[in-house]
Amino acid sequence: MQLARVIGQAVATVKHPSMQGWKLLVVQPLHEGQPDGEPLVAVDAAGAGDKDVVMLSSDGAFARTLVNDRKTPVRWTIMGVVDHR
Amino acid sequence: MRICEVIGTVTLSRPHRSLHGFRFVIGVPFSRKALQVGSAPDGEDLVIYDDLGAGTGMRIAISESTEAAAPFYPEKKPIDAYCACLLDSVTITDAGEPRP
Repeated sequence: MQLARVIGQAVATVKHPSMQGWKLLVVQPLHEGQPDGEPLVAVDAAGAGDKDVVMLSSDGAFARTLVNDRKTPVRWTIMGVVDHR
Repeated sequence: MRICEVIGTVTLSRPHRSLHGFRFVIGVPFSRKALQVGSAPDGEDLVIYDDLGAGTGMRIAISESTEAAAPFYPEKKPIDAYCACLLDSVTITDAGEPRP
């Protein structure tokens, strides 16, 4: 798990069926508070909003459980919104 | 999933036997800066499996590593980049800088 910041939204009509109904957010992973690496599209399981700092999970097994599909290509999920760090 | 722009396709006349009939595109990932200013993607291009019909110039989100092969479960495929969705829009609302 790592911290990331929500920097935008992504909308997709044509997608893997397991992603149907999930909100997709563009997040920028952070390292020691600074942007680190390329932005990622993540499935939002926490109701995160614009500019929120969030807890990002890279656990594919958790993503498969979340969307309830063994065959989902989803890896990155937003697990929570950070109030204080 | 990283965001890529499709710049072309790959055709194989002699694919690995587990890849017969598969379609591949070439995508270039976006950095945060390129997404923000709306410029061309600036990452290192990669070959991506696609069954959604991604065309040149389209933006897609790609799954990588283990999750790229997950849609083929229980079959095993030598695929490490998978086109998970065709992006209608990507809206960047924030610079991605930490809060002051």
